[in-house]
Amino acid sequence: MTPLPRPRREFWAAQGENLRIALDALRANKLRSVLTVIGNVVAVMSVIAVVAVIDGMNTYVSEKVLEQGLKVIYIDKFGLITNEDAWREAMKRRDLTLLDAEALKQRARLASEVVGQLETTKRVRAGRIELQNVRVLGTTEGYEAVGKYEADQGRTLEDDEITKRRAVCLLGSELAGQLFPVLDPVGQEVRVAGYALRVVGTVSPRGNVLGQSQDNFVLVPFGQFQKIFGPHESITILMRARPGADLERAQDEARVILRARRHVPLGKPDDFAITTSETYMSLYQKLTAGILAGTIGLVAISLLVGGIVIMNIMLVAVTERTREIGIRKAVGARRADLLSQFLSETVVLSLFGGMIGVLVGVVLALLIRLVTPLPASIQPWSVAISLFVASSVGLFFGVYPATRAAKLDPIVALRHE
Amino acid sequence: MTAPQQDGSLIELVDIRKVYQMGVSEVNALDGVSLRIERGEYVAVMGPSGSGKSTLMNIVGCLDTPTSGSYKLRGTEIRDRDDDELARIRNQEVGFIFQTFNLLSRADALHNVELPMIYAGRPKRDRRERAREMLDLVGLGDRTHHRPNELSGGQRQRVAIARALVNEPSIVLADEPTGNLDSKTGLEIMALLDEVHRGGNTVILVTHEEEIAANAERVVRLRDGKIESDQATARHASAAPRGTASPLPPAS
Repeated sequence: MTPLPRPRREFWAAQGENLRIALDALRANKLRSVLTVIGNVVAVMSVIAVVAVIDGMNTYVSEKVLEQGLKVIYIDKFGLITNEDAWREAMKRRDLTLLDAEALKQRARLASEVVGQLETTKRVRAGRIELQNVRVLGTTEGYEAVGKYEADQGRTLEDDEITKRRAVCLLGSELAGQLFPVLDPVGQEVRVAGYALRVVGTVSPRGNVLGQSQDNFVLVPFGQFQKIFGPHESITILMRARPGADLERAQDEARVILRARRHVPLGKPDDFAITTSETYMSLYQKLTAGILAGTIGLVAISLLVGGIVIMNIMLVAVTERTREIGIRKAVGARRADLLSQFLSETVVLSLFGGMIGVLVGVVLALLIRLVTPLPASIQPWSVAISLFVASSVGLFFGVYPATRAAKLDPIVALRHE
Repeated sequence: MTAPQQDGSLIELVDIRKVYQMGVSEVNALDGVSLRIERGEYVAVMGPSGSGKSTLMNIVGCLDTPTSGSYKLRGTEIRDRDDDELARIRNQEVGFIFQTFNLLSRADALHNVELPMIYAGRPKRDRRERAREMLDLVGLGDRTHHRPNELSGGQRQRVAIARALVNEPSIVLADEPTGNLDSKTGLEIMALLDEVHRGGNTVILVTHEEEIAANAERVVRLRDGKIESDQATARHASAAPRGTASPLPPAS
């Protein structure tokens, strides 16, 4: 058999034609195209917006949590309780006392400061102004270093005032502003549960965490707190790891000291809880991972539904354009040419949906940033991945319609009305 | 393109049969057709509807393959070719002109003429230039960016003729090319086909009108899937010598 001349085909010659056909089809059926790709739009939009928000939350939370609690170890009776059984179990534990704090202070070599604190919320009054739900903290010496308290007006509590249980207090900046809108708060008197306390200073603003003010508190000497609220409360011990010391090892050291002091038998769990800002961060990260997983589920469903819609519309398009397919075959288009033509068309369509989704997602993320304190930021990788997935969906669901087009008999196709 | 085979006809059909399955019964659309067409001939295929002339067209144009028999195009057997090879043969060897023009409605005249060259894999600049040239030759140099619905029937058929010739095919197949045109425009199109033939192209014309068939040099009449007669027309004797007085490029 004499072979007929085989021309050298230019790959890009055909791809240019494919892109042109795809864009033509998109332009010819604008509304239909938009409706077809709604699944893709929703999917891509969700990915972009959710990733932006979660990333914003991550930045925000890690900044806030870490700036205040870095290298601080919290030891208390309950710790991070996430279910009722754990809570009931924790209720049976012995209270932590100042003696525990004292033991840590003397024996923990990796801790630079050990502070015992008590906390409650109470009404606070100054003159005629009374405020509800104010955090009242009782603290031992060393609190400035552990909790990063700096005096704004006046001074902080002195060690002497704490050991001698003086009736003095420090005010958070927000509380100070509310109780003393006009007067200088330093030297004034506030009443906590009926006990008069003299204000020695105010603390520099510490900002908000998730809308919760960190400046709405009264800080009093530990002894004074017990005088007001009674002595029978389990304390929270705050320790700061020594500079350069590993946080993990500082925790282990504290655990060993406390277990020995509290006679916890070998093999039994701790009868106290040690948490760090990292504990909260990891809990938080589990939460956001959950949100992300949920989003991925939603995205998968929209992509599946969207893909099926795209496939159906492409089947309609193949039927509508049977004549065109016939003409192309008559002038020499091979199966592969029509296959790649219709595949490109579906991919372009899906990508078009993806791009609308990116647009809507970006707008949504910016809107969230505008109305919430979350610094939602668009992640380029989420844009790249979602566009890639959107076009892959087009490729996958385009195979069937494109195969149908490629397999059409040219004679039948040319006769099609 | 390779040089034509010196020792054979351009088209050589031997005992071609085409059987269609219509429900339970079989229809012999072509029932043993043997036919030779030489390079440069102008042949009209005539016959009433159902005579098998469309089937013959499809087979000669490589849109379809025969059930049995042999079809050699430039000495090459076509029968056992697969889909992709047939597509390539259609692209390189056959130029179709249809009754209903069969232009892409969303593409302009230039792009329609470019189409066969796209599937031949010719680079864009090259395509553009050649398509423009072809449109100039069919008298539509000023209509390159008009879409089919902005062109008259005659103009559409001119675009189709330009498209049929653009890859310099061995055969030009015209299936009732004037069927959808008024008689004046029909005459113009037939004159253009004459020019195509004089330019050295082999033209096969399918028609049921004697007047149109009279343009050809030879008429093959089909009836019930068989060749009824095969004669030279009166015009044959007076045919102008090929390859002269024509603006159309000769086939290679």
